[in-house]
Order: sequence, then C-alpha cells, then structure tokens
Amino acid sequence: MKLNKLLVAGATVLLSASALVGCGSSSSKAQAPKDTVRISEKDVIATMDSSLNTDIIGTQNLTNTMEGLYRYKGKDIKPALATKVVQPTNNGLTYTFPLRKDAKWSNGDPVTAQDFVYAWKRTVNPKTKSQYAYIYEGIANAKDITAGKKPVDSLGVKALDKHTFQVTLEKPMPYFSQLMASATFYPQNPKTVNKWGKKYGTNSKTLVFNGPYKLVKWSSANNSWTEIKNNDYWNAKDVKVKKIQYQVIKDASTSLNLYQANKLDRALITGDTSKQMKGSKGYGIQKQNSTFYIQMNQQKDTIFKNQKVRQALSLAINREQLTKKVLGNGTTPAHSFTPSNMSFDPQNKSKDFTSETAKTGKANATYDLAKAKKLWKEGLAETGNTGKKFNFVLLGDDTDIAKQQNEYLQNQLEKLPGMKVTLNNVPFKSRLSRSDNGDFDLVVTGWNADFPDPINFLTLFTSNASNNKGKWNNPEYDSLVNKSMTEDANNPAARWKDMVAAQNIANEQQGVIPLYQNGEAWMTHSRVKDLDYGPSGSYNMVSLRVKD
Amino acid sequence: MTKYIIKRIFYMILTLFIVASVTFFMMKMMPGTPFTNQDKLSAAQLKIMNQQYGLNKPIWQQYLIYMVNLLHGDFGTSFQFNNQPVSSLIMTRLQPSMLIGAQAMIIGSILGILLGAIAAINKNTWIDSLATFVSILGISVPSFVLGVLLQFYLAFKWHLFPIALWNGWQSSILPSIALAVSPLAQIARFMRTEMVDVLNSDYIELSKAKGNTRWQTVVKHTLRNSLIPVITIIGPLTANILTGSLVVENIFSIPGIGEQFVKSIMTNDYPTIMGLTIFYSVMFMVMLLITDILYSIIDPRIRLTNKEGN
Repeated sequence: MKLNKLLVAGATVLLSASALVGCGSSSSKAQAPKDTVRISEKDVIATMDSSLNTDIIGTQNLTNTMEGLYRYKGKDIKPALATKVVQPTNNGLTYTFPLRKDAKWSNGDPVTAQDFVYAWKRTVNPKTKSQYAYIYEGIANAKDITAGKKPVDSLGVKALDKHTFQVTLEKPMPYFSQLMASATFYPQNPKTVNKWGKKYGTNSKTLVFNGPYKLVKWSSANNSWTEIKNNDYWNAKDVKVKKIQYQVIKDASTSLNLYQANKLDRALITGDTSKQMKGSKGYGIQKQNSTFYIQMNQQKDTIFKNQKVRQALSLAINREQLTKKVLGNGTTPAHSFTPSNMSFDPQNKSKDFTSETAKTGKANATYDLAKAKKLWKEGLAETGNTGKKFNFVLLGDDTDIAKQQNEYLQNQLEKLPGMKVTLNNVPFKSRLSRSDNGDFDLVVTGWNADFPDPINFLTLFTSNASNNKGKWNNPEYDSLVNKSMTEDANNPAARWKDMVAAQNIANEQQGVIPLYQNGEAWMTHSRVKDLDYGPSGSYNMVSLRVKD
Repeated sequence: MTKYIIKRIFYMILTLFIVASVTFFMMKMMPGTPFTNQDKLSAAQLKIMNQQYGLNKPIWQQYLIYMVNLLHGDFGTSFQFNNQPVSSLIMTRLQPSMLIGAQAMIIGSILGILLGAIAAINKNTWIDSLATFVSILGISVPSFVLGVLLQFYLAFKWHLFPIALWNGWQSSILPSIALAVSPLAQIARFMRTEMVDVLNSDYIELSKAKGNTRWQTVVKHTLRNSLIPVITIIGPLTANILTGSLVVENIFSIPGIGEQFVKSIMTNDYPTIMGLTIFYSVMFMVMLLITDILYSIIDPRIRLTNKEGN
C-alpha cells in the first residue's frame, strides 16, 4: 500500500501546487487605471503604413496617431492640418490647401506640404504595392501611374511652398473632402519612411506620429498595444484621455468576462453573448457603413429580369427577425443598399440619405408574405412560367453566423410557391471567385464604404460596374448616377437630388435585395464619455473623455 | 546510432521537400487572391496587383522562385501582415504557444502516467473506476469547454488567475491546464492498459518470487516496460500541442500561432501557409525521431540499426 499512497500523494501535491500558484495573483474587482480607456479590438493591426492599410482596425489606429488635412468631429469635417475646409477652384478640379505651421512629427520635424506629396506619390507608386491605391483614381494621372503607364512624378500634387499643398483632379470628385479625412491620404515623414524602407509601419519603433496619440509597444504580431497622448500634437489641449489600451479579444464571452471584472471599459460582444446582454446597462449598438444584400443573376436566370419577381423575393424576407433573432449582432434591417447614418443632405444636415429614400425602400423591402406571393404569381405569369418549379442556388459565406443567416433566407424564400433554394456555403474567397464567374443564382454580398458618400454604393450597381454581379441594369439609374458625377458634380444640391432619385429607382426595382446594415454591439462602462463615431467609420479620439 | 540518425535526417529533408512541393501546388489551386480587399478590386486592378506581386507568372516559375528563396532561408513576407517576414511572424507568435504547449504536455504526461499507474495497480477497485472516469471525462470534454469553465470559475468568480490576456507566466496557467486534460486522459488510458499487461507477465511473478517488494517491482520492472506504447503517443501529441490551439488561444486571448494556419489558408496568404506547413512538418518529424531514439534508450531490446536491416 506504501506505493499506492505515495502515488496518490504525488498527484495531490501536483494538482494543488498548480492551484496555489494562482493565489498570488488573486485580485478582486480591479480598479480602473486613471485617465486610461481600455478597449477590445477584433483583430490585430496588420500595418501602420498608411499607404498599405486596407482595414478598419488599421484605419482606427492611424486616425488615433496620425493627422491628415481634415478630421471628422461628429458628422462634420473639420480642418486639421489644413487651416480651413477648402472649396475647389477651376471647375472643381483644383484644391489648394493652406497648412498649419505649428504641426510637428514626433521626431521634431515640421509637417510640410512636401510630406503630403511624398506620401501620396508613394501610395500610387506600383513599387509600394498598395492594395488601396485605386482610391486615388480621379486625381490627375493616378490611375495610369498605378497601372505603370505613367511616371510617379506625374501625379497631380504639388507643394506650392512649405505650407501650401495643391491637388489637381482629372474630373470633379464631389466627395473629395470626405477622402481628405481618411487615413489613405495622410502625410508621411520622408526621413522615417526612407530610413526603415519595407519595415516602415511593421512595429512602433519604425513610426513617427503627428496625431493625438503615440503608439507604443506594438508590433504587427502583437495582440495588445498602447497609445499615449502626444504632447507635441498641435491640438494637444483638446486631448484629455492620457492613455488608450487596445486588446485583441476574439471570444465574446471572454470579452464580457473582462468587462464585468472591470478589466475593459469597452468590450465588443457578438452572437449569443450579444443577444443575452441586450438591454442591459452599458449595452449599445454602433451602426457601420456597411450593408449586406442579395444579388440575383439575371444572365443565368432570365426570370430575375422581371421586376415583380425580384420584389416578391424581397418582400418574402423578414429582416426584423433576421437581424434580431438570427444574427443578433448589432445588425439592423436595411431598406436600401446604401446604409443609414452615413451621409446627410448638404443643405440640411439632419436629413439622412436613407430617410429621404425611405418611402420606396420600406415599400419594397419590408416583410409582406401575402403581397410577395401575389407578385410572385403575377411575375411568373408575365414571364410565362406559371406553375413551373424553380431550384435556385444561394451562394453565401461559410462562417457560423453566415450559415445560420443563409438557412433563414432559404426558409423564407421557399415560402414562395414552387421555389426551392439550395444552399452553397463556401469560404469568402471562393464566394468571390464564383460570383465573378457568374456561378450562382442568388448570392449574398456586402460592401463596406470606402468613403461616406452614397455614390460609393450607387456606383456598385451601374450596368457595367464590376461589382454588379447580377447584371441588373436600368438606363435611367445609370444616367442619374452619371449625372451626379459629371453635370451636377459641382452643385451639391442637384447632385444630392440625383443620388436620391437613383436610389429610389433601385429601391423600386429591387435590382439588388437589401438585407441588413452591419453594426457592432458594445458594452461600454459609464466612465467612458463622448465616444465620437464619425461617418468615416472610425472614432475621433480627440473628443474622448473619461470620468473616474 | 549516429549513422541511423543521419539517415533519418536525410529522409526527413526528402519528405519535407515533397510536403512543401505538394502544398505549394495545392495552395495555388485554391480560388481567389491573397489581397485582403479583393472584393473591392476590379478585374483590371487585380491584374495590376498580381503583376506587382509576381503572381501572374506561371505557377512552376513561382514555385522555382519560392524554392530558391527557401534554400536561402527566405520564407517571404506575409500578406495579412504587410511586409512582416513570415519567419519573424512565426517566431513571435510561436513563443506563447510553445510555453503553453510544453506546460500542458508536462502536466499531461506526469499526471497521465501517475493516474494510469495508480489505476493499474489498483485494478478493479474504486480507485481504478475513478481513474477511468477521469480519463473518459478528459477525452470527452473538449478543451474549449474546459477552458470556458476554468475561466469562469477559477478566474472570473474566484479571482485565482487572470481571466485572459497575456501578461506574464500567470496568464499561461489556465490555458495550459485546459490543454493538458486531453493528453492526460489519453496517456492515462494507455498507461493503465499496458501496465495491467505487464503486471500479469511472468517476469513480474518472478520478481515477486525473488522477494522484491512491491515498490521495487513496480519501479524496476513495471513502469519502464509500460512506457513504450505511452512514448509512442506522446511524440505526436507533443507535436500537435506545441503548434498551438486555435480555440484555447482565442478563449484566453493569447497571441499564439494556433489561429494563424487557418487564417492564412482562409486569406490565401501564400508565404504564411508555406512557412507554417514547413514548420509543422519539421516539428512532427523531429518528434517522431526523438520518439524512436527514446525507444532504444528505454528498451535496449529495440535496436534502431537492426530495424534498418543492418
């Protein structure tokens, strides 16, 4: 028995030792550190090089640590490095930005017009391999430079003097000011970029900052990073929070546990955790500039050329249930493919684009099964398909949440008599290839705004647009979209009218079926104040306050 | 022995070459491009991007370029993490995974062997049943369920450990325990079965007849002979666990390597896929080699060179 006891004793000691070790770290509900805000993040920062960044996380952290010509404050564009919001001259083709003289990089260098020229040319330079250079299209020669057809120096940018920066466009870009607030157009400090070469932006040592915060202790493989107030920032007096800590957390219940243990001030929650916390103190939804919709392949299935058939499909889907019961992630029903809370009437900032198109949107994208069945029957009759059976392949993503969504859509659409839907859930990249090749009947696609203007969504579905996978086309829609970009480009009111009219046509026609607008569900501690989420899809942390 | 090891290493390199080549061509058959915003690029823009990254070249050319770079120790740079060398990415992310994995294997092996041994010695008593019950529980409860439970009770409710995040060694305890349970259970089961066999064999009877105490019998004759099959499974288990666990790392927000393989495949991050494939293969083969060497140390009857027909 001696051995037996020894073994049992050994096991006990090992087990309890491992338990005891932890006791040292025993901490009851933690005290939040002063002047610090701790935020969860979905994923790592892939790069801090503004020429290479493509995602929301990179954009947010660039917005925190760098500064461009403008910065969003609430819904408004405010001058940042530029001393005023510039109106174009030369029929909307020339922008001349006077720059402030008191802006500095964190290495002491002044921020000059040359830094803009340098950064912009670097982004369009094919050697930089920027995946986002296409956003420069419209600036003189940008398209040809990225295609390698023209020299980089031919880009339409110029430093008139140390503090005057001039941009020349090929065609009017009515959304140019919105672009100027986005990270892809930030200046770069040539000395630093040249020093680090390809390593620039891969860790905090390779960076200099000219924005409200400085990024420390970061490399692109890190799951956590800290941003501390940049005292050299020209507007440092308005920056009140001394430190922002980010932590990548991918598991929603971990995120919630950390929030409830007061280890996080703002925690992103998803899925069931979000459904469970809904309505509790601190819960809130942040709408994003991104929508999901169904495209119908009109080339493969001519039946989708019939407007009533398309409307029937749209009316058969209960978006309330889809967003609340199935997704539950902070998504909201969409009545048009252009998202709400993104763009506002230039003459009346309280008017949301989607509220001006709400009538046609709601009439055609609100659940009404009886009407859907009626239109379906009429549509089938008009196309000579009465009594026929249809089997459509619905192509979608294969994430857990997308699968649930697709099953729900299948269930809803099959309520139309004679309609059968087969699901084809594939990885994202396969979905892209297959929708490019027209290998689908119905496909669920999404779009995240490049800049907060309806035109970014409206141009997706003109008849020759590469994103128009279903090949819906409407000449009137095309001409309105085109008019807004040409004839009315320099007339904000007329341009707005064109876009509203185009959206109304798309809503009535249901060329694509809007499903929902993306959003995020967050738990936010009451000590965090003034979260300033702008139309650009990033938070302006200059406004952030914390009350201990 | 040395000759044997050299021969094995030669075969390892050959295997590695085949694995790398097959993976390369299979990977290129996957649809899509490695560009993160592929859905936003038009066909013309995609063509330009492919040109810039040399992805428009014939696949055999891309293969040769990759292999030549590889021979120079260059694994390329990641697409997901712009301009970050794959080798440094793997190295940085590997450390937390390795630490947790190694701890899990140490806990799992020691406790597993102990548990199996206790069960075998007390065959058909309540202790045996309890040990079997623990093993079955360990195999059937997935590490992520255990991870969530550990996190909720030990960290969230009782504040014994950090809930998550990666701040020092303390952060590694709960994930290590969560990961240890499955190998612990497997090892315990193997250990018990084998030890019961050994305990019934003639030489154990002889040892008892010689007048050896039970302690002497178990330590000198039983444990060592029971370890052979256990070592067989510890090798691959270790390789598996050291390469990280997607789910456990996500639950505890650990900046590990576990997720990278899946993520690199989903995003067509070619250099990272290749880097990780090569790395995992090396790891697995090295573990197998160590296992084989350990055999000969534990059981002198096994002569490695004989197996090769010398």
